Amino acid sequence: MAEKRQPLQAQDKLTFLLSLVPFLMDHDRISVSEVADHFGMSPEQIRDAVRLIGVSGIPGETAQYQHEDLFDISWDDLEENDQIVLTHRVAIDDSPRFSAREAAALIAGLQYLSALPEHADRAAIATLMAKLSRGASAAPSQLMVEATETDDTLALIRDSVDAGVQLEFDYLNSRGEHERRRVDPLRIESLDADWYLRAWCHLREAVRTFRLDRISHPRVTTEPITHGADDVKLPDTLFEGSADDLIVTIDVAAAAAPLLADYIPDGAITVEHDGRLRTSVRVSHYHGLKRLISGMPGVAVVLDPPDARKVVADWAAAGFARYT
Amino acid sequence: MSATSAASRVPVEERLFSLVLALLATDTGLTKNEILSTVQGYRQRFSTSGDNANLERQFERDKDDIRDLGVPLETLESPGQVGNNQSLRYRIPRGDYELPADIAFSPEETTLLNLAAMVWREGSLSGESRRAILKLRSLGVTTDDPVLGYAPRLRVRDAAFDPLNTALEKNVIVRFNYLKPGEQEARLRTVAPIALIQHQGRWLLHAEDQDAGGTRNFLLRRIVTPVTTTNTKYPAFDQSATKAALDELEAIWDERTTTVEVEPGSDASTRLEKRKGTVRHDETSLTLHYSDFDLFADELAGYGPEVLVISPPEMRAAVRSRLARTAADHG
Repeated sequence: MAEKRQPLQAQDKLTFLLSLVPFLMDHDRISVSEVADHFGMSPEQIRDAVRLIGVSGIPGETAQYQHEDLFDISWDDLEENDQIVLTHRVAIDDSPRFSAREAAALIAGLQYLSALPEHADRAAIATLMAKLSRGASAAPSQLMVEATETDDTLALIRDSVDAGVQLEFDYLNSRGEHERRRVDPLRIESLDADWYLRAWCHLREAVRTFRLDRISHPRVTTEPITHGADDVKLPDTLFEGSADDLIVTIDVAAAAAPLLADYIPDGAITVEHDGRLRTSVRVSHYHGLKRLISGMPGVAVVLDPPDARKVVADWAAAGFARYT
Repeated sequence: MSATSAASRVPVEERLFSLVLALLATDTGLTKNEILSTVQGYRQRFSTSGDNANLERQFERDKDDIRDLGVPLETLESPGQVGNNQSLRYRIPRGDYELPADIAFSPEETTLLNLAAMVWREGSLSGESRRAILKLRSLGVTTDDPVLGYAPRLRVRDAAFDPLNTALEKNVIVRFNYLKPGEQEARLRTVAPIALIQHQGRWLLHAEDQDAGGTRNFLLRRIVTPVTTTNTKYPAFDQSATKAALDELEAIWDERTTTVEVEPGSDASTRLEKRKGTVRHDETSLTLHYSDFDLFADELAGYGPEVLVISPPEMRAAVRSRLARTAADHG
């Protein structure tokens, strides 16, 4: 779990303390680094939490937090050996239940995963969901994710990740060109019903995002990958910016602006007027733009530059012409 | 543990942790006064003679925060003093707090739950998942997780999602303006949420309409104002209502079709063929399923000249007028 280590909020910190105590109770002696690895936190976060546990407790009969009312740890072991030994405990015997929302989030996540070929064991997933419901402090809220249909491409991507080899496929880009691509798969993401493969593209020598529904004739090769998930930093946005990108000014209904969030670059200047926003979007070429804008009729309009307006106008007019 | 340490020196998590410990350790419960005067983080700010209104408000907020985490913080009325607020007693019953002893997760299940948590990469559910995973790790199951490079992730971009999810958990009525597909003006709706459902990539709220009666589905992306949460509670719906709603959505998807002609080898041809339930008649002719007429018309318009709608006539007209509108807007 080497992902991001974020500073924790108070509620997260409390959850962590309540989770850490039972874990330590099950381990007579354990190193700070082992605990850090297990919980996916930094050693310093673990030390801070253990120090706090070591001075915490209950008011007790005297309401004075007497020594026997407090947790205790072996302070020498912590400070000198970076080892945790819990020597006295109070109040807590076991791990906490999941909250209704926590259980609901995991259950919905499982529903989503059940679309993937390797999680096709529906019975095992159903058992797990039932356990989560029973382990929650209240009935999980009703959150349901329909298992999106996926094609065999996902299974092939998985195979190539497992084997550490490159994947090859025909890709139809948004310009309408077919190209044979060879990639090192990094991550699968989905946005609404669309699945994307993020991968190191050997043709472009860069990280690229591929729509699964534009991939055809995929094949697992025998060529080892050169870029793994650990070597490449994936940007949070789905679409990578490039120095060649075109900046286009648009006018969009404020309510629809979130739909374009992935295209609006950081630091874009946005002006609001009468429930509409004037902002800019970043596109790699106008072929993607014309599809995007034509799919939001009356909602989004390109203002500038003029050649971008013309590409959109021509695209829509060509579509309209088919009906006349 | 000096009682003279300044209140500001007790961090929030220490106060919350101490409160949970104190309430877990009591069988009979503690009164508010006992809590404020003895529990770490409160006692430093407690005045034996003066006004503790600020501290009482702090306690109310802390109670909400703790309950938010799924900790069952109970309120008991003292026998013989029913209705007396000052004599209310607070406690956390151990049996409702602790994970039942017979619930255990295997390494394989733990790996799957780790993946399920990573599905939520943003929004409030990422916080819920993160906390759930901390509790899961508490059980000490070790996994040999792969790097999880192949971790599928789901994004929720609808602003209405978080407030609706909270309302769903608390069973409270909500209000919002909804722009019904095909209508020009948004209308105020007052509804009792039943479920949030993601169907064919779109989030829907299945809810009971308080004005019109009966249940309706609301597309989250057509909720055009911030969601207002009321204090009016409603009785929780049975879980079968969610299943019924999903079945109904499936039935609508199966029932609604449109037939189109696509440009061979085009983006439209490649992508539309992969939609759920699509039937290909020949190289150019496809029959497609959809659930929302207007949203699907928008989607088809995005393909420009690559798609020609053949039937039904309503869909043909809708796509045609959308293309005309876009051409005019950019002329």
